[in-house]
Amino acid sequence: MTAKRFWLPILLVVFGLFVVSCGSGNKEAATAAMKAAQDSWNAAKGEVVKYIPDQAKGVDDAIKGAKENFDKGNFDAALETAKVIPDRVKALAAAASAKKAELAKSWEEMSGGLPKMLEAIKSRLDILSQSKKLPANLDKAKLEGAKGGYEEAAKMWEDAKAAFAGGNLTDALAKGKTVKEKAAAVMTALGMEVPAAAAPAPAPAAAPKG
Amino acid sequence: MAEEEKKQGADAWDATQWHVVEKGETLSKISKKYYGDPNLYMKIFEANKDVLKNPDLIKIGQKLRIP
Repeated sequence: MTAKRFWLPILLVVFGLFVVSCGSGNKEAATAAMKAAQDSWNAAKGEVVKYIPDQAKGVDDAIKGAKENFDKGNFDAALETAKVIPDRVKALAAAASAKKAELAKSWEEMSGGLPKMLEAIKSRLDILSQSKKLPANLDKAKLEGAKGGYEEAAKMWEDAKAAFAGGNLTDALAKGKTVKEKAAAVMTALGMEVPAAAAPAPAPAAAPKG
Repeated sequence: MAEEEKKQGADAWDATQWHVVEKGETLSKISKKYYGDPNLYMKIFEANKDVLKNPDLIKIGQKLRIP
């Protein structure tokens, strides 16, 4: 009886120390995992947000969830959430890099092709401006509209190039796409043939009836 | 292969305007068709000096650039 009284508090203290020790170990592991997760995300976030923004929120949410668990003392849950984040970030970084390469290729094609379209339009407008009579498919209002369309497209192309020079590839491509559409519309109005790369996609065929 | 793809890509952006000469056509007629003014035929001649030596001598089937 005396021995039991003697050993019970000691056992409780030892058990308590064991629990605290285990908890402390999980806390350290969770802290390290969260730091690794945050560091990997900090390194990749810029490109991911820039090129695949819709997928960035998932990582932000996961890091936030890990932090919330950590703050509540749920170190195991924090660890489980945090430890998979670096791999997820690695996959997203690769996807962002692939998207960047794809956009860069599109820009390369566009920046090689659009100036040719603008040049062809300018050449035709210059000659038509010297003409004493317009061709059958063109009237004065249409010609003025085409001139205005060309000016807008040429100005926007300068903006697109500036966006690219400033490192904003997505914006540069969006502007370039608008230039392409405007230039194609002007060429059509002038009775010129639109290059295949800028021709509007054909309308989908109507579904057969019955 | 990559070079071929590049070439195809570049061709898809080619904005050169062409006209294939038909029977009875002259540079003046072609000029009138595209510019509304037959007197601008020299613009077409200048753009095709690599294939035309004389603005009065064009051949049926000849492919001409229309600037």
